[in-house]
Amino acid sequence: MALVAVIDKEFRMFFRYPLRVVSSLIVGLVFLLQFVYFGQAVLGGRYSALLQSSTGVGDYPTYALIGYVLWWVSVSPMEASVWGVRRELQRGTLESNVVSPMGLVEMVVALSLSWMLMDSVIMAVVFVMGAVIFEIPLSGAVVVKSLPVIGLSFLAFLGFALVFAGLVMVLKNIGPFAQIFEFLILFLSGAFFPLSTLPGWVANLSKAFPLTHAASAVRKVFVGMPYSAIEGEIAWLLLLLPLYWAVSYLSFRWAEKTARMIGYGGY
Amino acid sequence: MKAVEVVNLKKSYPKKIPLPFRRVEWVEAVKGITFSVRKGELFGLLGPNGAGKTTTIKILTTLLEPSGGEAKVLGYDVVKEAREVRRRINLVAEGERTLYWRLSAYENLRYFASIYHVPKRDAERRINELLKMVGLWERRNDLVMGFSRGMKQRLAIAKALINDPEVLFLDEPTLGLDVQSTIFVRDFVKSLVKEEGKTVLLTTHYMVEAEKLCDRIAIIDHGKIIAMDTPQNLKKLVRDEEAVEIRVKDFSPEKVKEVDERLVVVEKEPEKGTLVLRGSIDEEDLPKVVERLIRAGAKILSVEKKEPTLEDVFIKLTGRALRD
Repeated sequence: MALVAVIDKEFRMFFRYPLRVVSSLIVGLVFLLQFVYFGQAVLGGRYSALLQSSTGVGDYPTYALIGYVLWWVSVSPMEASVWGVRRELQRGTLESNVVSPMGLVEMVVALSLSWMLMDSVIMAVVFVMGAVIFEIPLSGAVVVKSLPVIGLSFLAFLGFALVFAGLVMVLKNIGPFAQIFEFLILFLSGAFFPLSTLPGWVANLSKAFPLTHAASAVRKVFVGMPYSAIEGEIAWLLLLLPLYWAVSYLSFRWAEKTARMIGYGGY
Repeated sequence: MKAVEVVNLKKSYPKKIPLPFRRVEWVEAVKGITFSVRKGELFGLLGPNGAGKTTTIKILTTLLEPSGGEAKVLGYDVVKEAREVRRRINLVAEGERTLYWRLSAYENLRYFASIYHVPKRDAERRINELLKMVGLWERRNDLVMGFSRGMKQRLAIAKALINDPEVLFLDEPTLGLDVQSTIFVRDFVKSLVKEEGKTVLLTTHYMVEAEKLCDRIAIIDHGKIIAMDTPQNLKKLVRDEEAVEIRVKDFSPEKVKEVDERLVVVEKEPEKGTLVLRGSIDEEDLPKVVERLIRAGAKILSVEKKEPTLEDVFIKLTGRALRD
């Protein structure tokens, strides 16, 4: 199956180089430590009454760890769309894939899925390390209960990211723009601070990002709230999921058509 | 049914003019070409760089959409039925970077077998066969990044045969290869057609390659086909007595056309200060041309009649050498 073949290829190429894996882990952990210690320094401790009242999670390390890890994973399919497709262009392998019956859509979805899974492996390790460093209690039941929400979130992240895959084929060099966007999402999704501290219109804008709802839902489940407490977040994710997939598909088809007119570049 | 049918094919590209004059200009790369390739035929597109060969091959392999005209491969329209075309063809693209260098030879073939939907059991057998056929069986588990240019090209050909394509497209298959690898690739391509009955369409700017390999050749220049026939018939366009090679010393290449429009520089030897000129000049005219060269300051080292080649045909038709 072509999808599995792309994932297998990407995993082999990534995990074949241990230094790359170690460097990803270190970068992931260093950023997390900085954010959490900075937050604790501002709060004067790990507990925040404001966080508790506005999000239901008062422990700052728990709040930040979940937001950060989900942000990292949510932008990885976007990174795959931008840098992964660009890397195939630069390698000269994009056209070898496009000329096959697999088709470009399947290839880019598989590429995005691969990167998301690879980053999930890295972030799972960072999450456990973060939980140990900040003494956050972890239980198997909570992790299992979070999985359906995380799965739904991943699907929404994928759809959101694929919009960029189309753009990279036509515009070729949208990496810097995508990077700005990634950090904008980090800011607007309330990964490190509650959205209630932002102006109303900015907080409303943040609802357009799947990460906002995914992070909120996982946090609530993580502190032991029932599924009924996250109905609002699930409803938003179920609304955004088909919307972003539809927009992605249409923009991707347009980009593919345009790329076939002007050439895929690379070589 | 023809393997490839091309009717009045056109392709224009947008060319971006950078700042401060930022605008888009359209460049016509292919200007209404028509040709067809029979099943089991080895057909060559011969022409200089920028003639439109790669653009044509990219359209036929569904990588580009034409701006006009029609192209069919095995009866399927390359625009409307791209997926059907892709199932039945494969491509060896120009350059060495068409494989994953961080995968082994075996892993590359297994990956491409999967994306071509080759069933797993057949894929194993096919991969093993192909690795043996291209002489890479012993190196199957080595990463491609450690391969020579010739080995990479042999693996690229194996990759292109993974789905057992009915039509194989080869874009400059021997470009940049050493002599040994070039001979291997040429012999291998020939055997694919003669022994396995594949249809092959290749582009090249090497005349010898086109002449030795192809059943028929289309000479393409500035996006137009200027001649198309078997190599033997094409060479008949230049009469036996016409092909002349003149070796001169201490003469500027820029002055050649001033002496005679029919002459072109086919070889430069700067360390010796010599030029090799070639042209289609009959016996009557030859002494006059030589005299004009001498008067223009050239030292004549030799004048030889040559067996006409496809280069002579190209010179006669365009007034330029293929490498210009």
